[in-house]
Amino acid sequence: MIKLQNVTKTYKRGRDDEVVALNDVSIDISKGEFVFVVGPSGSGKSTFMKILTREQLAESGDVWVAGKDLASLRAWKVPLLRREIGYVFQDFKLLSNKSVYENVSFALEVIGSSRREIEQRVPEVLELVGLSDKAGAQPHELSGGQQQRVSIARAFVNQPRILLCDEPTGNLDPSTSVGLMKLLDRINRTGATVVMATHDQHIVDSMRRRVIELENGSVVRDQSRGVYGYGG
Amino acid sequence: MTARWRYILQEAFVGLRRNLMMTFAVILSVTVSLTLLGASLLLSQQVDLATDDWVGRVEVSIFLCDDRTCPAITAEQQEELREELEAQEVVDEVMYESKQEAYDRFTDLFEDQPSLVESIDPDTLPASFRVSLVNPNLFNVIRDQFAAYPGVEEVVDQREVLNQFLRFTNVVRNAALVVAVIQLVAAGVLIANTIRVAAFARREQTSVMRLVGASNWYIRLPFVLEGVIAGVIGALVSWGLLYGTVPRVASNLAQDIELMPFIGAAQVLAVGPWLLLAGGGIAAVSSIVALRRFLDI
Repeated sequence: MIKLQNVTKTYKRGRDDEVVALNDVSIDISKGEFVFVVGPSGSGKSTFMKILTREQLAESGDVWVAGKDLASLRAWKVPLLRREIGYVFQDFKLLSNKSVYENVSFALEVIGSSRREIEQRVPEVLELVGLSDKAGAQPHELSGGQQQRVSIARAFVNQPRILLCDEPTGNLDPSTSVGLMKLLDRINRTGATVVMATHDQHIVDSMRRRVIELENGSVVRDQSRGVYGYGG
Repeated sequence: MTARWRYILQEAFVGLRRNLMMTFAVILSVTVSLTLLGASLLLSQQVDLATDDWVGRVEVSIFLCDDRTCPAITAEQQEELREELEAQEVVDEVMYESKQEAYDRFTDLFEDQPSLVESIDPDTLPASFRVSLVNPNLFNVIRDQFAAYPGVEEVVDQREVLNQFLRFTNVVRNAALVVAVIQLVAAGVLIANTIRVAAFARREQTSVMRLVGASNWYIRLPFVLEGVIAGVIGALVSWGLLYGTVPRVASNLAQDIELMPFIGAAQVLAVGPWLLLAGGGIAAVSSIVALRRFLDI
């Protein structure tokens, strides 16, 4: 489902100053897996996620996502790639002028889904995330955990094959985070591949899923049923 | 209308309303530039109309006496004059225009100005030889030779009359064109800036659209349309301004300047599609350029 082979990505910071964000990274993630990507800030987690959505292009190496070779993917086909990927942000990125229902339906409207499809899918996914009774609410009326559920509903409403979550629990308290992880686990069980970048040691340790650890742009650990770090 | 188009139009109008001052500035500057552009186009048409119909290919007119200012030319003198003219090396072609023909041409030319036509009768205008020259600069040769010819009333270089008129109109037209182009560039920059502000104001929405996989044109079209709508409104206003003023000015001038046909409402109407094309086109190009970097994938 996701395959990186010897991928390198550097950023120019000044004329001669380069930062290596990913250094010869090879990762293979199968369909239906649940993977944590861990590592300190600046380890390359964000770049990894951005390369998967084709916001960034790898300098060298091959990247395959949902059967597409991203190096040769034409710009006008990038939107089609992104319809295979749901994306969840740390800061939710809900549109404040739209209701919960509108935030979710917006994701379908802008990719040209039919009215029937929208009227069927949006209530379904709101029920999945447990917010059926909040459909008419505005984002600011919700708690952080609820807002993140809306953002997951929006990411998953068109049934993408991959769900990328960038620090989804970063702004949430621990008990809320647990509930959110149950939701992501449920989504994973429907067959979606879930990749979650996180700092949250507690969650990683309790879930016991595959863990990929990055440090200075390199994979230093890739462990099935792993924990956050060797040192605890 | 499908849901997608409704969304795109709705977003475009939301953008225009949200930024009312900028929208107004864009419309105003497009209006000014296109009014000047339209005016210079119409002036060109006016010049073409006047030169084509007024003198045609004739470069020298030799008016013949008809007893008004000098004794009428006799048939023999007239035949002799024609032969002499045709024998000249510098003469390309000689045409005779009778009084009736001169009158008919005049009435055709000024059918829009009945008062002018009523002021003359078929006998008013002199008959003439209309002469085109191999080299129009050799007018002096013809004048020197035929001005004193028996039965010739006057030898007139039509080109000189025309040139004075052309020199003047060219200056006016070019000045209008230059100002129009400068103003159009300014309008384009203003539109680009407005669209960039609009895109910035809605950056959260567009970043979400990008990540859920909305196509590029779907993300950009509302902004481009926002620019184009403002541009087209500006074009319509300038069209209205020209339509309201040009025919009136032309008919006023027609009363002062005799013997010249003037453009009217029909020509102003015909210039409209070009103004719309220019207004919409410049807005579309500016908007697309403005968005190119801002909304990259």
